Amino acid sequence: MSTWIQQAVARGRLTTRFPWAPPNEEEAPITAHAPEVPPPATRTLPLAAPVCPTGAIESEGVRQGACIRCARCLSHGLTPTGPVDLMASSIALLRSPSGLRHEPPSVRSPSPGFRRSLHVFLIDVGSCNACNREALGLANPYYDSQRLGIFFTNSPRHADVLLVVGIPTREMLPSLSRTYEAMPGPKAVVAIGACALEGGIFHGNPHAALPLSDHVPVDAYVPGCPPPPLAILSALWRVMRGPPSREGP
Amino acid sequence: MTRSSWVETSLSEVPKTSHDLSLSYLSPDARLAILTDYTEHRTRVLRGEPLGLDPARFPNQPWLAPAARGLRRCPPDEDVRGYGIFTFPYGPVTGGVPEAVRFDVRTYGERILELTPVTGFKRRGVLAGIAGLPLPDAALRVERMVGNLSAAHVTAFLTAAESARGLPVPERELWTRALALELQRIYNHLHAVARVAESAAQSVGQAQVHALSEEVLRLAGWAFGHRWLFGALLPGGPDRRLEPSDRRTIGTRIARISADFQTLWDLLSHTRIFVDRIQGTSPIPRREAIRWGAVGPTLRASSVGWDDRVHAPIPPYTDLFVAVPQGIDGDALDRIAVRVGEIQSSTLAIEQILDRWPAASGEIPPEPCVEAHRGIARVEGPNGDLIYDVTMQGDRVAGASCRSASEANLPLLALGSRQSVFTDFSFAWESFGFVIAEVDR
Amino acid sequence: MIGTGTGALLASLGLFFAGIPLSLRSRKLSYLACLLGSLALLGTSLEVLAFHPVAPVSWIGPLGTPEGIGLDGLSAFFALVASLVWIATSLFSLAYDTGTSRLLAPTYSLTLGAIALLFLANDAILFLVGWELMTVASYGMILQAPGRPGRTFSAAFIFLAFGEGSTLAIFLALAGLWSVSGTFRFVPLVSTGLVTSGIFLAALVGFGLKMGVAPFHMSEWLPIAHSSAPSNASAVLSATLTLAGTYGLFRILSLLGPSPSWWGAVVLTMGATSALLGALFAAVSEHSKGLPAYSTIENNGLVLVALGVALMARSEGLPVLFAFALYAAFYQALAHAVAKAALFLHAGYIDRTTGTFDLNAIRGRAKEPGSPAFPAFLVAGTSLAAGPPLAGFVSEWMILEALFQSYRFPDPLLRLVGLLAGAAVALAAGLIAAAMVKFLGFGMLWNPRRSAPARMGARALASPILGISAVVAGIGISAPWILAGLGGPAIVFARASVPPPIGGALSIPAGWSIVSGAPFGIISPPGLPLALLFGALVGIGYLWLRGRPRWRRSPPWMAGNPVQVPDESYSAFAFSTGLRLMLRGMFRTREARTTHGPTTWATLQMPGSYDVELEVFDAFKAFYDALERGGLGLSAALKSALMPGRLGQYVAYILVATLIVILYVAIVF
Repeated sequence: MSTWIQQAVARGRLTTRFPWAPPNEEEAPITAHAPEVPPPATRTLPLAAPVCPTGAIESEGVRQGACIRCARCLSHGLTPTGPVDLMASSIALLRSPSGLRHEPPSVRSPSPGFRRSLHVFLIDVGSCNACNREALGLANPYYDSQRLGIFFTNSPRHADVLLVVGIPTREMLPSLSRTYEAMPGPKAVVAIGACALEGGIFHGNPHAALPLSDHVPVDAYVPGCPPPPLAILSALWRVMRGPPSREGP
Repeated sequence: MTRSSWVETSLSEVPKTSHDLSLSYLSPDARLAILTDYTEHRTRVLRGEPLGLDPARFPNQPWLAPAARGLRRCPPDEDVRGYGIFTFPYGPVTGGVPEAVRFDVRTYGERILELTPVTGFKRRGVLAGIAGLPLPDAALRVERMVGNLSAAHVTAFLTAAESARGLPVPERELWTRALALELQRIYNHLHAVARVAESAAQSVGQAQVHALSEEVLRLAGWAFGHRWLFGALLPGGPDRRLEPSDRRTIGTRIARISADFQTLWDLLSHTRIFVDRIQGTSPIPRREAIRWGAVGPTLRASSVGWDDRVHAPIPPYTDLFVAVPQGIDGDALDRIAVRVGEIQSSTLAIEQILDRWPAASGEIPPEPCVEAHRGIARVEGPNGDLIYDVTMQGDRVAGASCRSASEANLPLLALGSRQSVFTDFSFAWESFGFVIAEVDR
Repeated sequence: MIGTGTGALLASLGLFFAGIPLSLRSRKLSYLACLLGSLALLGTSLEVLAFHPVAPVSWIGPLGTPEGIGLDGLSAFFALVASLVWIATSLFSLAYDTGTSRLLAPTYSLTLGAIALLFLANDAILFLVGWELMTVASYGMILQAPGRPGRTFSAAFIFLAFGEGSTLAIFLALAGLWSVSGTFRFVPLVSTGLVTSGIFLAALVGFGLKMGVAPFHMSEWLPIAHSSAPSNASAVLSATLTLAGTYGLFRILSLLGPSPSWWGAVVLTMGATSALLGALFAAVSEHSKGLPAYSTIENNGLVLVALGVALMARSEGLPVLFAFALYAAFYQALAHAVAKAALFLHAGYIDRTTGTFDLNAIRGRAKEPGSPAFPAFLVAGTSLAAGPPLAGFVSEWMILEALFQSYRFPDPLLRLVGLLAGAAVALAAGLIAAAMVKFLGFGMLWNPRRSAPARMGARALASPILGISAVVAGIGISAPWILAGLGGPAIVFARASVPPPIGGALSIPAGWSIVSGAPFGIISPPGLPLALLFGALVGIGYLWLRGRPRWRRSPPWMAGNPVQVPDESYSAFAFSTGLRLMLRGMFRTREARTTHGPTTWATLQMPGSYDVELEVFDAFKAFYDALERGGLGLSAALKSALMPGRLGQYVAYILVATLIVILYVAIVF
């Protein structure tokens, strides 16, 4: 008869090596990241700009936060940028919602209070549910955020980080600021997903009140539609520990 | 009342006059009547008779009619009074329910006397916003409206739009949609099982099932270029040509995941604590399920064997065999068991889809449209029957409305939760598989 | 001859009774007289306890023979407790009694005088006079409740009916005493046997009725009688009227002498049952006076538990355990009376400021900023919830320790009784703690700000409450020294030498701790607050060294709701619904529903709007209801049989009666 223990042993180790080793293609699929052109060929960008539904393509590059990875521009000379080295790249984390690909990432005031563990509270302010799933999916054995000391909590009273998903609707604004207020300091806010950054496909929506930073101070932005789980994990890890190191634990 | 007589009485109520776009405004009985007999629906369409319902006989249900702004209560205007009773507002920001929705619980402590879901917190006005857009742009918004049910929504939307425009559809496109739908069904069902296991503190089972759900997501990402299938089914999107070797890979991986899950389910369903917590929780009797127009696994758990893939199929389901698992008691255990059965039946469906993958890109004529430029389509999404009603003007969408499965099932959460205790709420909630993003569109 | 001691006794009695005519002139004068009388009684009792607890003070009357008034160690102890309470209630009444009823002051004085007379009585006649006066006077006092005349009358009537029932039983007991000893004086009996057992049972019923212990608690009588009365009356009734019952039981038992061990077992069972039932019903009560009234039942039950262990220990030849349990009983009576007085007085304060007795409704109802007496409320409530280091904690500890030692009984049946009682008492302690958390929590949800009271007189109302709760804290902390003074009452009770508190039963090395039994457990009531104080000082010092912490106020977390949902405050009722549902067998919890209003979707069967009440019942209430029905039925049957209104039958009665008289006369003479 099969038992839970047999099951667990038979399935072996599933968990990613990240952040101690670069992620593989399955964990960080190419298509989850914004397309780009190699720097010498930037003249293709204006040609591709009209097909972009969110207006993310500008003459200097692709605005990471606005891109929803719809892949329309791929037939206009742009190519996917992956596989992405989450450990070094800015993909996982942006300083401002409209950051370009090659801008250096930084986190506002990494707090000494977050050294060993990070308690994360998720708030949905108008998402399509995909970002929620990807964020909460960090707890599954493939990503196992608990091994890094990153936990999801059920109350903002216990939270260090507010993870904001979705395009902030007007109905949710008071709740958003109430939630931020309820958190003890030191605290950080991480916005994930194109909707929370620049509105994504719903930019210009009359029901929404963008930008998010008008309502809560945002410390880091994670682009993607939705961002792959490792991008979220990498962002949380960096909020907790500063720039990741390549050394083992 | 047997099912056939129930169908007859319902049908006799279908009036013959035309009516506005939205099916969502209909009372549950009437809605069920039109949904029940798809043959009738088609013959009337073919005869050129207008389809719709008399608003005088089936008055609008205010909570279903989406208000332009503000919050909605479901059902409204009821109250429970008595000594020591108070309202316990749960939400819109909680850890237990990851989406923005509030429940006003009337209670004297411990027991839920009345539960009123209050929605509208995350209303983004997506469907109102797509009017006037070209079809591909509109579809881009529809699929990003409900992330974890994107394939179902975009399939229903496109099918309705195609029917409105009368355009033939490439056959391979239809098979791709079916494949995407079944994959999505599997990972949503796995997620539902994992969430219930989590609520019952079955940490190991929860982790294992979640891992399987992640595997399906990865498989979807590999096959369609996006874990949540965004962009996979869009008209003019990247052409996903599945080579025979790719199809073999998908087939073997899904079969293995399904087999693994069956092993886990055997363990879970023999875990006393798990079964005890969900058995008898939030029961929906068959009669109530029919009266309230329950859909999807909720309806089937209450022993009504209705599945759009069988009873109102769109191609290619017309050519597929789909098993329809049913429950008896309509409690949380049955709803979960139906999902477990559906994981198997979807695996079987995927096998058939991959086996009979069309070689050449033939074209299939569209569904007949209801009126000129107006198409209605129904798709069995992971959590139930999904209806889109789309009016086209040339290449552009003139208007669209939708009745989602979560919307249809929401009153049943209110019904099923009555008299249960607080701690049962999470089981009830997870077993219905609600997605608030499809209620607050 | 009138010594200083007896002089003070007579003076205090006189002052109490003088309160009645004085009330015609001014209510304040009458309460002042009561205050002075209580002070005199307090002084005398202290003197007796301190200097000659065993030798009674008694009034040598004009004829040179001792009259029936005096004070010995046992009565001095109870008089001391009562006078402590009365000082606070009289002070409180000075500010409280501003209502319309002019009868409250005289009935109050009469009640105090009657209870004092009862304590001082040295013979059965005076005792009965005091007892009956007490019952009638407190009946009058309850009638003075403001508003609600109908309900008050029925509550008072129930109270009177049970009071008279208890008088009957006590009359039986005293008559039994007379038949054995041949005198009305309270003198120890020598013979044991059926008669003494009969006396014991009659006394247990009579005094048990007054104490409100099971099975005489009847879910209604004590709570309703006490909670519908004016607040100063409630305090007097709950703290001292039940104390009079306790005293009576102790007095009769002291006369009966050594007992068979089943007496102890009966007392213990009764006590444990009342403790459990009282705690259960306190936990599901939402009435700001009903809840403490149920707690009175629980506490009196605990007194009986301790007494029961003591009696059993004496019969089984365990003098140390006997003494320890006896001290526990005395201490419990003291701890309960003072804490309960504080609680009832504060309930009166709540009523005055919020106009409601319903804990659910108190939130947000204050007409003025919170009570200046709320620290007193906290102290008294915590003591009743057995929170260290207060008096209730010490007594609860002692009682549980005494029960733990029931393993020493040689008889396995007695061990089993002790074991079960221990479980019941421990459960009761937990339940009463939950009840007190509810009472304190919901009783103070009315802006407990310590700003200056807005209304004149608030301070005058608050200061006696603060004073009496200072006593609660004081006797808790100084428990070893208080216990040291209880040797006298114990000897009077036992009519034999008893292991003394210090060095004997308690073996207190230097008065800093209490060691139970020979030695079993140990606590140090004065050491505990010292340790707490030390800990607090260390904490404050640490914070001071680290620098002042930064404070940030944030609104309560309401699941992200920015505005309050109407009617969203957690109700006191909901606090204990879990208990109601879990113990539905015991409470016979029933949900009563009535549908109101149309259902919204008329054609559909979604249950619509309805009224719902979750009701709990006491099994004893059903018993008393049956008794009442039976009584009424019987009297109706007798009435129709004996007094049908036919002249012929009445003539026949007269004829029969005359015949019987003639026959009796003929036979006797």
